[in-house]
Amino acid sequence: MTKYKKMILSLILVIGVIFLGVFGNNISAQTSANNRIPVVFWHEMGGPAEKTLLKLVNDFNKSQTKYQVIPKYQGSYDTAIQKIFQTHGTNTSPAVFQSSNVSTAQVLHSGFTTPIQKFVDADNYDLSKISPVARAFHAQGGKQQAMPFNTSQPVLYYNATLLEKYGITPPSVSPTYSEITKIAKELYEKSNHQVKGMTVQIYGWLLEEAIANNGGMFTNRNDGHTGNPTKVSINNPEAIEFFKWIRENIKNGDFMDYGAGSMASTNQTSGFLTNKVGMYVQSSASMSQLNKKNKNKLGVTYFPHADGKKANGVSIGGAALWISNDKPKEIQQGAYEFIKYTVRPEVQAQWQKSTGYMALNKDSKDTKILQQFYAKHPEGKIPSQQLQNTVPNFGNSGILLEGMQSIRKLEENAMEKIYRGGDIEKTLQQNEDAINEIVYNQNRANGYK
Amino acid sequence: MLKTSTTNVVPEKKVEAKNKTKFRLTANDKYYASIFAGPSLFLLGLFTFYPMFRTLYISMFLTNTFGNTTLFVGLENYVKLVTSPDFVSSMWVTLVYVVGVTFFTIAMGLLLANLASQKLPGIAIFRTLYSVTMGVSVSVAAIFWLFIFNPSAGFFTLLTKLLHLPTVNWLSNPTMAMWAIIITTVWMHLGFVFLVFLGAIESVPTTLYEAADVEGVSKHYQFFHITLPMISPTLFFISTITIIGSFKSFGLIDLITKGGPTNATNMLVYRIYNDAFFGGNYAKSSAEAIILTIIIAFFTYLQFKFLEKKVNY
Repeated sequence: MTKYKKMILSLILVIGVIFLGVFGNNISAQTSANNRIPVVFWHEMGGPAEKTLLKLVNDFNKSQTKYQVIPKYQGSYDTAIQKIFQTHGTNTSPAVFQSSNVSTAQVLHSGFTTPIQKFVDADNYDLSKISPVARAFHAQGGKQQAMPFNTSQPVLYYNATLLEKYGITPPSVSPTYSEITKIAKELYEKSNHQVKGMTVQIYGWLLEEAIANNGGMFTNRNDGHTGNPTKVSINNPEAIEFFKWIRENIKNGDFMDYGAGSMASTNQTSGFLTNKVGMYVQSSASMSQLNKKNKNKLGVTYFPHADGKKANGVSIGGAALWISNDKPKEIQQGAYEFIKYTVRPEVQAQWQKSTGYMALNKDSKDTKILQQFYAKHPEGKIPSQQLQNTVPNFGNSGILLEGMQSIRKLEENAMEKIYRGGDIEKTLQQNEDAINEIVYNQNRANGYK
Repeated sequence: MLKTSTTNVVPEKKVEAKNKTKFRLTANDKYYASIFAGPSLFLLGLFTFYPMFRTLYISMFLTNTFGNTTLFVGLENYVKLVTSPDFVSSMWVTLVYVVGVTFFTIAMGLLLANLASQKLPGIAIFRTLYSVTMGVSVSVAAIFWLFIFNPSAGFFTLLTKLLHLPTVNWLSNPTMAMWAIIITTVWMHLGFVFLVFLGAIESVPTTLYEAADVEGVSKHYQFFHITLPMISPTLFFISTITIIGSFKSFGLIDLITKGGPTNATNMLVYRIYNDAFFGGNYAKSSAEAIILTIIIAFFTYLQFKFLEKKVNY
């Protein structure tokens, strides 16, 4: 018997060591916040935005004595959302987390979050101060589920100095495709083919925005706002027009194709900053970066739209803050207090100034911070103007569809093939079929009707 | 106690066949066996066999948003993968990569090892230089090579500009991206392979070369008819681990091309990772993992069956 006892003892020892290794970290994490209620906050902001965010969290912690928000960086949006789902209900999970708009449908369906509306109602907080288009993405049945936080819009950037140098009229406030073509051509010709006119990055988000801005729908059931989508359409008139415009210009040489490699985005930005390409569309969140390193005057205008149409407006990009429902009441309340702090007028103003994401609070524009910023950079107003001028409808309030990460890859696949000269409708149809296969399977696996 | 049991475990050769059927572990043996093998079996089971069978299990289901298995679909995931042009192209890309990497690694490794095995003054410097990539981590190598491949300020671009050659878009052209990844991987593997080959070449008895020299045989002939056959076990070992290693290549692809452009470098392992942790489709990626396991097992089997016969031990 003693032998078996020894054996059991050694087994217990081995298991004990393993468990200590796995859970040891959490034991120490829980005791770190002294006397304050710890609110663990998972975010995905890297680079300069992270610095600003950490300062924001620090300021919140200093502003009161009840809660201690503990920020933790979780890598990219797409891997973070998997971590959030996998840890839910364990003591490693966050109390409040930042989740990309692309994952909104997944988080909504998960049932892992407490709608922020519950706290808003109890607090009598006035949501109408927050941009309605940004709110619409994260609302269901008129109830706010999450609070938009870092919000961007796709805009058209142009090199104002370069256009001036060649005597070209800059694009209007809400330019059409043909207007951009004209400017791109002029720039390409007048610079003796040294400067390409324009580039549209191979990025699924831009295709989705082009469809939205021209009044199309990406999925059935009103982009998922009236039920879970069962069909995606990218072989639609809006997308075809968008691609005809780009491909014609790539063929003529006045548009640049930076490809889809991991460096495409960096190459595009450096091409713009070094006068190799005159215009490009990108998130407004790039603006602070463009302002910092740019020797030229930066021009900003609305996302282009098809000729003979009125722009429907673009939906927002970026991410929102959600409250996990696996934490006790007081922690959830702390999460709400933190979120409420993040949308204060002056906090949002500072956020816009240092990151390029838009201030979502209507009162932000009257703050000293933004007033001074706009005086120095009048073009900084444009994204917020585009946002404010957009009347929210189903088409421009974001796409509520799961699996957008894989779907975007297929969109980008199609974009790349078309840019290289593939047949537009055939390529779009092929990728649309592949996307619908994903949608069909995920609906089947999740039991969505 | 131990003494008596060891005689049971290793019986005399003559009685081996007879005793085979009667061979039984005593309670004592079982106790010691469990003490010695138990912990490692437990760990192996927990961290190797359980995940393996779990992967097989998941691959026959559809998984929902949270990665839970919800709907049994049998082999549907496999059938869809094998019939999807996207996945088949991924397999081809992987094959091209594996063949390319294995060929160039072995060729370069042999060349360098052969050069460095010459007895010349100062050769130690070259031996150190050639094996130095062993100490470079994947992330450092990736950053380093990204600078070299950079289309506007990279070393290769500057070189082509200096020679007035057309600039190569290393990372945005599908064919060149594959070359870029192969070059980088070969460079990474080279240090280790060089060192092993050098050791093998050094251990070939010098008398063989002396005899060949007496016969007046060329160095070229000596290499192919003495060196190569004599180091064939090492060659076999290196080819096996290089093939398996390049099938499992991940870090460089993630850091340099991210599988692009147009999936031109989307190898199986990278696809598995992407489908699971980026797309959240655990069922699909489990099926892909099983397919990859089968492919690697097949290649290893082929090597043991055909290559091993040619090895001179």
